[in-house]
Amino acid sequence: MIPIGIPETKNKKGRRNLFSLKTMLTIFRYVLLIVIAILVLLPLLWGISASFSPLEKTYEYAYPFSWKAFFPVDFTLEAYQAIFERGFGRSLINTFMLGITTVMIGGFICTTAGFAFARFDFPGKSLLFFVVLLTFTIPGDLTVIPRFIMIKDWGWINTWQALIVPLLANSFIIFMSSQFFKDFPQELVDAARVDGATWLRVYFSVVLPVSKPLLISLGLILFLSQWDSYFWPLLVAPDQQFRVVQLAITESVQEYQTFWNELLAGSMLAAFIPIVLLLPFQRYFINAVVGAVKE
Amino acid sequence: MKNRKKISAVPYLFLAPAIILLVIFNLIPAIATFKQSLFAEAARRGADPIFVGFENFLRIFQDPVFWKSAKVTLFFSLIVNPLQTVFALGLALIATQKVKGIGFFRSIYLLPVAVSINVVVVVWGLMVDPNAGLLNGILKQIGLMEQPFLTSPQQVLNTIIMIISWKGVPYWALFFIAALQAIPVSAVEAAIIDGANKWQLLIRITIPILRPIILFVLVADTIVNFTLFVPIQLLTQGGPQLASNLVMYETYRRGFIYGDLGSSSVMLTIMFFVILIVIGLQNLVLREKN
Repeated sequence: MIPIGIPETKNKKGRRNLFSLKTMLTIFRYVLLIVIAILVLLPLLWGISASFSPLEKTYEYAYPFSWKAFFPVDFTLEAYQAIFERGFGRSLINTFMLGITTVMIGGFICTTAGFAFARFDFPGKSLLFFVVLLTFTIPGDLTVIPRFIMIKDWGWINTWQALIVPLLANSFIIFMSSQFFKDFPQELVDAARVDGATWLRVYFSVVLPVSKPLLISLGLILFLSQWDSYFWPLLVAPDQQFRVVQLAITESVQEYQTFWNELLAGSMLAAFIPIVLLLPFQRYFINAVVGAVKE
Repeated sequence: MKNRKKISAVPYLFLAPAIILLVIFNLIPAIATFKQSLFAEAARRGADPIFVGFENFLRIFQDPVFWKSAKVTLFFSLIVNPLQTVFALGLALIATQKVKGIGFFRSIYLLPVAVSINVVVVVWGLMVDPNAGLLNGILKQIGLMEQPFLTSPQQVLNTIIMIISWKGVPYWALFFIAALQAIPVSAVEAAIIDGANKWQLLIRITIPILRPIILFVLVADTIVNFTLFVPIQLLTQGGPQLASNLVMYETYRRGFIYGDLGSSSVMLTIMFFVILIVIGLQNLVLREKN
């Protein structure tokens, strides 16, 4: 790719041409990087800016378009105040508690299972592993109806357990932990066993303390599984007191009017809280996920 | 050896909670769906459902709404999966270049991964509003034709693909980025000494090494998009003129809106087998060269 703007004469000095070609290439690279960044940031910047605008100005700078669309020129906290008055704070707390409970219990259940697959030989191992594999292949969305009927038969509608229990066992995380524990140094386990520690003790005081990368990534995955869930809570816990974040957002769409700025205020909160949680742990997350995929 | 007998109950205890939960909440519902597809709705409340074998399937196969929906889903899958996989690989290659400040750009590119699909759909839904949305505002500003987006049967699928890809492409790129960072430097150096240029490097070294990850992304992406539901429910409810009525949404309409669980289960069962076939085929095609 030869840049058009370079005069012919410069070609005689090979070095200079090489230099400018290289510069052009670097500029091209950065232009590409910036263009992609703009595409990614566009909805977030507009969303933030519009969420800080009064209702009648939500679309003001989007159409007809002006650069003010990305800067909250008519800054107001109106929308945020309104959603918190309607109980958005409650739904944030709900979702956090659900997320943390799921991470603690689900994390324990899935890692112990992964540990058993990685570290023990026992009759029926391949059958049980097949069960995990099978449930991994069946997308959960395909089986929503019978699961919902089951929850209803148990009288679990509008209960916390309906929101938590079905999300605890996660076959992807079981795979991931089993993969992780396969590379775990055997000497550490042996030493503790020789000292007479029980397996549960070994698991808690030897294995878990050195499994930080695994725990961080499974924590993120399980937390996001609660944070992102929308359709399941809509079915099994429609009561106001169980309201989760993703459902609380859509409350701004009401029968006779939609409060656009409030819709965006809720959305931005729902988007940025996991972003803030995820960013510092990016590397752990990437490594653990790929460890699981490599088979 | 002494340990062997003593520990025999331990692995089962460690596995029990996870396996029991998986069986109750995943396996049994799957079997129930399959079973439901073979029975007719009970004539009155409390009566036992009647076994009808594959009659439900025959009924579905004669249903034009199902076929229309299957066609939309096929078209959608054939575009969205290769597109997201290729763009994700491209984005990963761009985000792993060795230039100054790349870490900063990479962090920006991965932001959508943390944003729930519900939020993505809400924000983009407002942006593609044909009358007041940001996209038409920009198109008008730079002198291009304004577009109907979700309100046009011709554009609705492409618009949905664009919206979900804002999250989908960075999400799958995450897997490629990790894999690219794990490629041994020696392999790349050897190829460069052999005089390979960048393009040859990509074709001969990078892509073959990434093959298993490409397969995984393609399979997982296919499953995700096959069961795509929230965007359709929030944005179009299958319209306009059923142009975005993906099979997953059609099962929801029948099961939850019309209360026809029988034909809903049939379609879910069909989807499950189609997913298995697609996974099998992709495995076959992408594994053969190993």
